[in-house]
Amino acid sequence: MKRASDILRILVFLAAALILNFPVIATLVTSLKSNAEIARNPGLWVEAPTLGNYAAIFDAAGRFDVWTFLNSSLVAAAIGTILPIIVCFPAAWVMARRGVGAAILFPATVNLRTLPLIVFAIPLYIMYQSLGLLDTRLGLGLILAVVNLPIALLILVNTIRDLPVDLEEAARMDGASLPTLLLRIVLPLCRPGLVTVFILGFITAWNEFLFGLMLTTRDAVPITVGASFFFASGGGGVEWGVAAAIIVIAAAPPVVLGLFMYRHIGGSMTTGAVKG
Amino acid sequence: MTRPARLENAILTAPLVVFLLLLLGFPTILDLVYAVSEVRFETLRSPSFAGLSNFTAVLGDPEFWRATWFSLRFAIVTALAECALGLFLAVYLAPLLRRAPWLLAILIMPMIVAPAMMGLMYRLVLHEFIGPLPNLLYAWFGTSPGFLTAQNVFTTIVVIETLQWTPFALLLFHMAYQSIPEDIREAAAVDGTRSWRLLTRIELPLMLPTIGVALFVRFIDGFRVFDNIWTLTGTGPGGSTTSLAIYIYVAFFRAGEIGEAVAASIMLFGAAFVLLFAAARWSTRGVR
Amino acid sequence: MTIRQTMIGIAGLTALCAGSVNAEVTVLGWPGGPEEEALRVVAEIYNARPEVAEEDRVDLLFFGRDGFFDKLQADLAAGSDAFDVNLLATYSIGRYAPYMEPVELSDQAEDVFGETVLSTMRFEDTQYGVPTDLSMHFLFYRQDLIDALLADDTARETYATISEEYLGEAMEPVAPDEMTWRDFAATALYFTAAVNPDSPVRYGTVLQMKNLLFNIMVFQSLPRAYGGDWMDDEGNITVDSDAYREGLELYKLLYDAGATPPDSLSYEFPEANAAFTSGQVAMMVQWSGAAGALLDTDAAPVTAEATRSVAPPAGPEGRFTHIHGLGLGLNANAQNPEGAKAFLEWLSTEEAAVEYARAGGAPGLTGTAIEAVAEERPDLVPLGEYASDYGYVMTGATGANALSVYELQAREFTGYWGGSQDLDATLSATADGMADLLKD
Repeated sequence: MKRASDILRILVFLAAALILNFPVIATLVTSLKSNAEIARNPGLWVEAPTLGNYAAIFDAAGRFDVWTFLNSSLVAAAIGTILPIIVCFPAAWVMARRGVGAAILFPATVNLRTLPLIVFAIPLYIMYQSLGLLDTRLGLGLILAVVNLPIALLILVNTIRDLPVDLEEAARMDGASLPTLLLRIVLPLCRPGLVTVFILGFITAWNEFLFGLMLTTRDAVPITVGASFFFASGGGGVEWGVAAAIIVIAAAPPVVLGLFMYRHIGGSMTTGAVKG
Repeated sequence: MTRPARLENAILTAPLVVFLLLLLGFPTILDLVYAVSEVRFETLRSPSFAGLSNFTAVLGDPEFWRATWFSLRFAIVTALAECALGLFLAVYLAPLLRRAPWLLAILIMPMIVAPAMMGLMYRLVLHEFIGPLPNLLYAWFGTSPGFLTAQNVFTTIVVIETLQWTPFALLLFHMAYQSIPEDIREAAAVDGTRSWRLLTRIELPLMLPTIGVALFVRFIDGFRVFDNIWTLTGTGPGGSTTSLAIYIYVAFFRAGEIGEAVAASIMLFGAAFVLLFAAARWSTRGVR
Repeated sequence: MTIRQTMIGIAGLTALCAGSVNAEVTVLGWPGGPEEEALRVVAEIYNARPEVAEEDRVDLLFFGRDGFFDKLQADLAAGSDAFDVNLLATYSIGRYAPYMEPVELSDQAEDVFGETVLSTMRFEDTQYGVPTDLSMHFLFYRQDLIDALLADDTARETYATISEEYLGEAMEPVAPDEMTWRDFAATALYFTAAVNPDSPVRYGTVLQMKNLLFNIMVFQSLPRAYGGDWMDDEGNITVDSDAYREGLELYKLLYDAGATPPDSLSYEFPEANAAFTSGQVAMMVQWSGAAGALLDTDAAPVTAEATRSVAPPAGPEGRFTHIHGLGLGLNANAQNPEGAKAFLEWLSTEEAAVEYARAGGAPGLTGTAIEAVAEERPDLVPLGEYASDYGYVMTGATGANALSVYELQAREFTGYWGGSQDLDATLSATADGMADLLKD
């Protein structure tokens, strides 16, 4: 009985993993095919696996340096992920515990997510131009931070609201100051929420395209924008094999991050520590 | 509220407020000017006042309403599908995921790939001659539907979006489910509560805030969908896959109607603000 | 730190800053393809010339290819000085002209490129760019399939029956270089499995029908062959015409009959190439730039051997191919306009054009220039010939709103092909929109 249900569970997992990841698998497979094989063999089985597409990307280093693109993405995404956590955490606590900002600040910030932020592109461009932030990783990181603000605030408010008040009250009784309370008591308890914000924020920032395109030209070009340098062929076409390879390369850093962060999500039980 | 508390509140919200003002203050003011101006790319620095004509032009544009309706439909369908699937997987696979948490990493892989790249890859995956999916369908059934015909394109992009973002819902639900204290379950087991009752009476209510957040975030993200549709079908045959974000992008960059694009965004922001204002009111009241 | 050291440091820093601002001519090119490789080669040659001063050397810059023109629009409108010279295209020249300066060509330019090609870089009689690459359309077809059709009497009978049924008259198959658009349609239908179960391939053709402005460029040579144009000499919009009806209906007929894959409504350049090279398509009208990939036995192992190309089919008004050029022009906000002008002038000499062609670019050349490269680049010969014999640009298609007109047509026409609106509504909406866009 127990056995059968376990097997069924594993089957469901496998089906979900296959279906959800079908495009990922197809991309991975395609990245290992030569152009000729892509034209001849559309299946998921690679007849003559080759790393040629990857080699093509790293060979092009004299023209376009994939490492520079990755580096820009990393720096900009890091700024765009950590900054929202820093500015949102204290605000989230005030909102969750004291209901401050429920009228304007909270909805206004969270609402930024509904906006196609592209309407800010031109004004931002003009502003960045006069501040010297155009084509800098800092400039790109700052706007990525704006992109991530809504979800950071939303998840942090939600996380703090779910925390038991008892611990905070106890700390207050013991005479803990507000900064101590926030940094020593609340922050550690928020860990699962922070991890989620970090992972989601990093992925979003890493994958952002439009601002990366508009606000950079040379020094701070992120990988999402740099990718199309590699796979465009003559006449506006797409080299599917190279495109697949660059997608795999571009997705690798956040995937690694996800795998690494998993321990922290899975094992965290603090949220309900007192509530139960 | 006491004065020191008010000061504390001000200090604690200051970083957020200052950051928003610094980065979006000037752009917002300029956009507000653009919204009531006749402005094109050539006249970015010299817009001329045009009253509310941009707003009336947008409201009178059937394409705007079509795009709004598209986004609304897309957002509702995908948010519900993603949350339902995500909830099922999170609860049903929980024993498995508790034993081997790394399995979760496999399931959330799709959402790590950039949606724009995903759209690009679907151009390959769904292609009748070089795409793996039609190839499989031809091998098994001897035929393959046109995934991107005028009739099927909406379903196809809904499925694509759902496959990519179900992992998001799954991730949030997994965390919420895992954070339900074991002793609650044990107590229920001692009382002889059946697992279905445990789920519907105890576990789901405890997960309700998370379900709300997931539905909300997925709804918003579905509503503002851009990248994957843009790279896969663009605006679609006859404009049939024009989401509101695509409508605004096209008005802004392709048609150069900057004032109208900004006006449409302001109305979108306003509508969302009212909704969220109400939701925030309602939810804070619920907490107290 | 001593004062002296500080002074040296400051001097060095100033020199560095000045150096990074004025040291070079920054050229924004088209990344990823043969255009990029050719530009790199000619830039190297230019930089090695003795008369080119250190501070006028060319440095290349590339943007992402996706959204390239949207980004360029933002840069130019905001007055960017990140580049001195930037990419131009015939269809966008009117849109960018307000931010550009006219360029001076070398004395040889007229002989090297010819009038038609030079005019692709002109807006309101002002030369805004030096042409680099020329794009047009070819009819690519499978020689093996066409030969078999022409040689087989039973096939001819089937062909007559099919053309009778779909096009209203019994027709005879003809060779591709003699084809009219009706012959093209009949041949496409004959090679369609859904129409003719004995067809050796699944589809007669592959039409690019995605809602995308470039696809309308591919399409419009068909109405053009029936005399279609955007507007007449008095500036009246003439899109609601028999010529456009004929063209739109022919596409719709082929799509509905299954002569092109059902997903054609989402097909653009790479999808069409992929369909053709799979070996399941008999012929297609495609950009000249595809020739390299379609004729390469490595890239197209199934079809390359049998693939040939001719000019697109003809209509009652003759044979036409849409042409447009890519080129390089001068940013009005350039930091080094003199250096940029010198480079652009050199780029329009025979020496530069020939090197550009040798390095893989696709310039439209005439006279001694084409003779100089004919042996290495035989594919460039028909490019120049077709451009002068069949090339056209629709009236108004270099205007400030040309891109918007293409986008409007793309939305309306694909709506008709996809079945969401009828032909009358399509053409009247297109005409209204075009009247707004082209009114001045």
